[in-house]
Amino acid sequence: MEKTDYLIIGASAAGISAALAIRNNDLKGSITVLTDEPFQPYFRPLIPYIITGQKDEQAIGMLGSGPYKDFELEILTNKRVKNLEPLQKIAYIEEGHSVSYHKVLFATGSRPFIPHEIQGTEAKGVYALRTLGDAKSIANRLIETKEAVMIGGGLVNLKASFALLERGIRVTLVVYSPEVLSQLMEPEDAYLIRKAIETSGLTILSGQNVRSIVSDKRGVRGVVLDSGKEIPCQMAFIGKGVRPNVEFLSDSGIKIDKGIVVDECTQCNIPDAYAAGDVAVTFEPISGQRIVTALWTNAVEMGRCAGFNMAGLRTKYTGTFGIMNATQIANTPFVSMGTVHTKGTDYEVHKEYYKDGYCKLVFSNHGRHLIGVVLIGDISIAGLCRYLIRNKMDVSAIKRHIINRTLSYGHLMQ
Amino acid sequence: MKGPKEIFANPRLCTACKTCEIACAVEHSKTKSLYSALAERPQPKRRLYVEPAKTGLNIPILCRHCEDAPCMHACITGAISKTQAGVVITDQDRCIGCWTCVMVCPFGVIGRHLETQKAYRCDRCPDREVPACVSACPTKALIYKEAEDFSRDRRVVVATEMFTKE
Repeated sequence: MEKTDYLIIGASAAGISAALAIRNNDLKGSITVLTDEPFQPYFRPLIPYIITGQKDEQAIGMLGSGPYKDFELEILTNKRVKNLEPLQKIAYIEEGHSVSYHKVLFATGSRPFIPHEIQGTEAKGVYALRTLGDAKSIANRLIETKEAVMIGGGLVNLKASFALLERGIRVTLVVYSPEVLSQLMEPEDAYLIRKAIETSGLTILSGQNVRSIVSDKRGVRGVVLDSGKEIPCQMAFIGKGVRPNVEFLSDSGIKIDKGIVVDECTQCNIPDAYAAGDVAVTFEPISGQRIVTALWTNAVEMGRCAGFNMAGLRTKYTGTFGIMNATQIANTPFVSMGTVHTKGTDYEVHKEYYKDGYCKLVFSNHGRHLIGVVLIGDISIAGLCRYLIRNKMDVSAIKRHIINRTLSYGHLMQ
Repeated sequence: MKGPKEIFANPRLCTACKTCEIACAVEHSKTKSLYSALAERPQPKRRLYVEPAKTGLNIPILCRHCEDAPCMHACITGAISKTQAGVVITDQDRCIGCWTCVMVCPFGVIGRHLETQKAYRCDRCPDREVPACVSACPTKALIYKEAEDFSRDRRVVVATEMFTKE
């Protein structure tokens, strides 16, 4: 049996940032990182560039770039943990291989959710873009693909759509909600994004559901909507969110409620076991509500916190917004964070359209706290807004600067 | 051991003339001359911003090159790292313009170059002995010093002021 001081299960955002945090605080302890993927750690958000061909496997690698420069780490690839005995501190890997540890981090992330109502999802050419392996196999199928249908209108499917458009594929996006990105903004806030998307050549069918995927021996041939209409395609993408990978812990005694339940220091209900990233249940700092998020930046932050705690530096995790996205869709930058769904609430909401941009600011019902923003176009004040929201600062004195989007750090100085 | 030199700003000396902003943009142009920089594409950008402070004073605000930089950890492409001189830099080749760094910077000092879709920030002028903004400031409101020296100088000033008041 192998022995290690720190066992990290999962080699993506949470796992690798935890390993770095441990190494910065414990120069000697042995760190073993397991991943069930066949690749060295990579920046998952960059996999659409594998589809476009703009980057290769090496260019998206984590180790040797950013904060992971001059950081050496042994990663065991193709290692899936089957089950775990947290009291004996042993992890069992497939093929009779096991590892004993002093401390363990569960950073197993999440996997795409495939709704069982949709028939025919096992066909060749049906994807849910998640791993580098997925991206590579998508890139290989491009040669026999003219049309693709995206099922679900979230960020992952939008990113994939733009990668495919870049490769000359005709793309239709089917979304059940009245508008794309419904998790990140209300339909009326998405107008500019929708406009930019349509200008870029992506066809959107909103308020529609997919019933089944039809295929023959060459793979996907089309997608059938609830209305009975069939859209021909050679690739179909399912983007219906993700679910945490917790199954390997089912009989372990580790507490699970949707994801792995941790305390404010990212520790599980059994000592010396920690969890971080998509797989962990965390909390929202404003409401205190328990949430599971699936965001790279959150996973890194939580992974670092877990790493500090594992190395003996007691560190509290400050929680995270369930919504905290910055990105660029069809040359339109946008940021969405905090509380952005305001229909039926008594929050104070300011909305403004300006040249090439839109801004929605959500204040608490008494108006003293900023609690959420949607910025499209000009996102300059996003960082300051995040600071104000996160620290629950009384913004009465600087409110007009927020509303006029003239806020600067100077306004926060005494 | 002394740390690296940093750029400090004294709001009491700043007249908001914005000479620093111009000097910064020129230093980060290809031609490094004001007249030709104006015509350059992509347009050269300033990396510090003279902003009004709460008290009615003005202050140039720029990247603090944080010890544990939130932008570096948040970056989803590994484009941001810290040099041995303590300068947080953005690798322009790796940056994809997702603006995650802009979203997490509590100082709001990361700029977005829309023509190139790259994020940029103060790089403390790696080719110069003294950063361009500091050299250009006519009132010496910008100071380039080690933090230790800066705080010692401030202590001397404050002590002198207290003494002269009495």
